[in-house]
Amino acid sequence: MIKFHNVSAIYDDGSEALRKVDLEIKDGEFISLVGPSGAGKSTLLRLLTKELQPSGGEVFLDGVNLADLSGSDIPLLRRKIGTVYQDFKLLSAKNAFENVAFALEVCGSENEEIETIVPKVLDIVGLGDKVRSFPHQLSGGEKQRLAIARALIHRPMIILADEPTGNLDLVNSYDVIKLLMKINELGTTVIFASHDREMVNTAGRRVVSMDKGKIVKDQAEGKYVI
Amino acid sequence: MAGWTNFKRNGFLSFGTTGVMVLVLLLFAGLMALNFIATQIVAGLQSKVDISVYFKIDASEDEISRVKQDLEGLEPVQSVVYVSRDKALEDFKARHAGDALIQDSLAELAENPLQASLNVKAKTSGQYAAIVGFLEGNKLRSLMEKINFYENEEVIKRVEGISGGLQNWGFVATMVLAAIAVLVTFNTVRLTIYSQRQEIEIMQLVGGSNWQIKAPYLVEGGAYGMFAALIASAVFYPAAYFVSPKIETLMPGLGLFGYFVSNVHEFIPLLFFVGILLGVVSSAVAIRRFLKI
Repeated sequence: MIKFHNVSAIYDDGSEALRKVDLEIKDGEFISLVGPSGAGKSTLLRLLTKELQPSGGEVFLDGVNLADLSGSDIPLLRRKIGTVYQDFKLLSAKNAFENVAFALEVCGSENEEIETIVPKVLDIVGLGDKVRSFPHQLSGGEKQRLAIARALIHRPMIILADEPTGNLDLVNSYDVIKLLMKINELGTTVIFASHDREMVNTAGRRVVSMDKGKIVKDQAEGKYVI
Repeated sequence: MAGWTNFKRNGFLSFGTTGVMVLVLLLFAGLMALNFIATQIVAGLQSKVDISVYFKIDASEDEISRVKQDLEGLEPVQSVVYVSRDKALEDFKARHAGDALIQDSLAELAENPLQASLNVKAKTSGQYAAIVGFLEGNKLRSLMEKINFYENEEVIKRVEGISGGLQNWGFVATMVLAAIAVLVTFNTVRLTIYSQRQEIEIMQLVGGSNWQIKAPYLVEGGAYGMFAALIASAVFYPAAYFVSPKIETLMPGLGLFGYFVSNVHEFIPLLFFVGILLGVVSSAVAIRRFLKI
């Protein structure tokens, strides 16, 4: 379970990204985090991967206060979480296979296992024929599907998707949402941050609306409403 | 493995970084060649310096050999050579074999006019004063006609000055150039890694530990150094081969190429060691800055 308790976040320039946020996300939930740009959605996700430290309050993952983790624990925390970003964040010098394999390598998987699993997962996301392609040789939709393959290769507990459809056309966006929902059905918690009304409504799951660093609405089976 | 793949794929950057490191290693090799030349010059000058003690005509061989034994017992003395009166005359005649006037004059003389002498070489040129001090206090001093240290004193001091200067300034210049070389390499590798900072960030977000991220870059740095050493060796030896005869015409007996060939089993591993160390250390320092997230 993920728990944000009274969490505030202030950036170095003094801007307040989060103001005393309280939020609980159960294991296996699919939650859409919605709101306009600057509402604090990405900040909330970055607190979970410890890219940022809260300036107040506490963040718990499975009962562990993330503030108690040491520097060497951070890679272990990140291996429990799969991340998907609007700008894909793919390794440009590595091909599709290597991009996905890297996430397994850092977990200490054997070469044999990597050789078997990576092509299967690339197949699942529809990139079976692009195994040796480099990111610059892929379309936007393909890049995002590659990023999703990388995010789920090590069977993470949680997938954080930060505006994953932001750079995609409608068809590719649907594909991405369907993939995320499929992953969720297999038991992975998915946090989908977006300001794409169509996609949020397609998912039709719990919707948490944010504005100016605060949670303004939390609906169990909601729609994108501002 | 990943480091090697990076090295191959970053073609242009690898080429540039290796190129800079080749220049740095050639600079090191050049400094070593200069040090060798300087050492040879100093050794050549020092080997030419000695002092001679001339004995009065009536000094017996026995007495001279006692002084010789005393000198050989001294710590700063490297060698003492006895030149008898007959040997001195022989040498003198040989030296002026082509000069009829001198040969005639010598024939006119009834007795050998030359004195027996001891040629003393010290281990270092700074020790001649001490040796002369010892001779001055010797109980057989009365048998000695003259000690030519006083005539040579200026020359000895000048040689000492040049040797010291070459050694000190050579050391300072080597250190300064080496520091510049290290900085240039460091900055080049840092720029290479800077161009990949986003990749490093992504590796961290995917859960790579610092060591897992760092290792390929260290291998990449080592690969730059290794290739640079290979190219530098391939450039340096032919260069030394062509330059060596020219230096030898200026300073006879100074075989630069021969020196580096006879020390090839030390010199090439040293170039590789310096190259790989520079590459790995530069990578390690450069990547630290990007491992903060």
